[in-house]
Amino acid sequence: MKVLVVEDSREIASSVHDFLIREGYICELAFTFDEAQEKLLLFSYDCILLDIMLPDGNGLELLKLIRDKDIQSGVLIISAKDAMDDKIKGLEGGGDDYITKPFHLPELHARLRAIYRRKKLSGNNIITFNEITLNTDTLEASIHDTVLDITRKEFDLLLYLVVNKNRVLSRQSIATHLWGDYTDNLANFDFVYQHIKNLRKKISAANGADYIDTVYGLGYKFNSSKV
Amino acid sequence: MKLVDKFTLWFIGVVLITTPITSYICFYNMEKKIDEAEIARLKGINTMAATRLQNGQPAGVPTAEQPTTVTELAVMPADSLLITKVGLRDGNKKLDECRITVSSFYTIHNKHYQVSTISHVPASSQVLSAIMDTVIWKLLLIAVFVALTARLLSRRILYCLRLTMEQIHHFNLKEKIAFPKTNTQEFKELNNFLQKMTDRAVDEYTAVKEFSENASHELQTPLAILRNKLELLSETNIEENQAALISDMQNAVEKLSKINRSLTLLSKLENNEFTVSEDIRFCKVAKDVLAAYEDRIDMKQISVKTDIDKNIRLRIHPALADMLMNNLLGNAIRHNVQNGRIEVVLTHKKLVVMNTGLAPEIPTEELFERFKKSNQCSESVGLGLSIVKQICEVCDFNVSYVYHSPMHILQVDFQPSKVRQEPPARAQDNLTPSLAI
Repeated sequence: MKVLVVEDSREIASSVHDFLIREGYICELAFTFDEAQEKLLLFSYDCILLDIMLPDGNGLELLKLIRDKDIQSGVLIISAKDAMDDKIKGLEGGGDDYITKPFHLPELHARLRAIYRRKKLSGNNIITFNEITLNTDTLEASIHDTVLDITRKEFDLLLYLVVNKNRVLSRQSIATHLWGDYTDNLANFDFVYQHIKNLRKKISAANGADYIDTVYGLGYKFNSSKV
Repeated sequence: MKLVDKFTLWFIGVVLITTPITSYICFYNMEKKIDEAEIARLKGINTMAATRLQNGQPAGVPTAEQPTTVTELAVMPADSLLITKVGLRDGNKKLDECRITVSSFYTIHNKHYQVSTISHVPASSQVLSAIMDTVIWKLLLIAVFVALTARLLSRRILYCLRLTMEQIHHFNLKEKIAFPKTNTQEFKELNNFLQKMTDRAVDEYTAVKEFSENASHELQTPLAILRNKLELLSETNIEENQAALISDMQNAVEKLSKINRSLTLLSKLENNEFTVSEDIRFCKVAKDVLAAYEDRIDMKQISVKTDIDKNIRLRIHPALADMLMNNLLGNAIRHNVQNGRIEVVLTHKKLVVMNTGLAPEIPTEELFERFKKSNQCSESVGLGLSIVKQICEVCDFNVSYVYHSPMHILQVDFQPSKVRQEPPARAQDNLTPSLAI
């Protein structure tokens, strides 16, 4: 996957770059409106990460350019503004999804993948990893062709883990992914542990390998090297 | 009492006090002048009679035209002039006239003569009644004209003040106002002063608003950097103790970003950035939020009893409705005990969320304040109920929190209008008359 990151904060851009490079993606950076415009006109990308606030222009203008030039890239909008109308403007302007700063890198990646699946893999909704198959359309997960009896949350969790395999996923990041705005009222992240525990149980019951590792006190990791 | 009435009364009071005094002065002076003029004339006549005597002419018999009598005296009195003034009476009835007698004494050819001339002048009562008539008419006219013109004049002169007051009445911190131009010195000063004051209030409000907006906005990028770098760091080869450090940092970043988000939300609420134009179905929101919390409710093994009426429409921004429900229910779960209970009652009039939990350590009303927590060391930020309260204020709801052991009861009244909205309405009525000067 080829990604263009349009972000004026170099630290954020480099974090995203480092994270995506490890996935084997080609990741290019643009720090200004002009740079982004030039790159968009010269090269083609699968996905564009677009910060709305740029020092020399508005990201929404770039969205307009993408639409006018008929550029077939998925667009994930990044904004520091949590405002509703920004969100609506961004999505109406041609953005495919919206993520607010400060975001979790695995969350960003998961959304990027989702956009990629929808736009570039022409809506391919099957994700497979070894014996695990996930259907993002029907929300069905199966192991060795046995359909797992899992809840919506557990499906989301498994998908999140598979997409971000071999990554350390903090409990905060998992909680935010699963509950979004409803994370604010959590006293602790014990329930993340509960969901992981249930998921592991269900996978092993279907004779799946135990891919989910606990990483010290940090979080969890989908370890693909397990057999 | 209106300003104009006060001025009118004062003016009439002054007139009432000064009029008798001036009338008396007028009366006194008039009588004096009349007498003086008459006496001078009579003296002249006396002198002429004396001149005739000097020339040896007869004094003549006094007539109506020539009312001068000459009498010969044995001894010359000390004064050379004697004036008497008597009111004339016709029987018991006082006449309208006074008689003035001026007697001059002369020594002519070694003989002493008294020359007296009489005349009639209007009586004091006559003069007085003339003055009284005038004064009464004058007072009446003054009163009528003052009463009539004062209103017109005040409407004209105080027009500017009224405009100013109307401006202030409608003043809010969001925009500056311009005061009307005037050539009255006091109003000029007042307007200048108010202009400075309101401009300053607006400026400071804007500055504070911008500060909190910018601060929370500017914090988001560093927070994002921190969070992302920690994520990258956690993927390097780390040992357990390093992992613990990273985990603590991640928790801190998480809390920081929560506080930041909540404060941003609060300032947005205060700025009334959530305007609504249509009603939403609140019952659906309540059910959605309940569904979102289902797993957490199960995990704590809390029994939930819901009594949600159908088709409850409320005028509230969808995001706020969600946040309100989210905060109330989130609190009810978080502060609940294992195997506890939650009851949610939603009717057209109110939303009640009740939950079991530890007794609050501080008065429940204080928990609506920012960063107030019943248990200060708990993990929560302490902004949830502030947000609830602010949302309720924005939507004109009334929220209350009581603790009846063992239940915490949070109640939101959707229509506190009859009881709650009247006092401000009356307060406005009180302002209105004072505006109409």
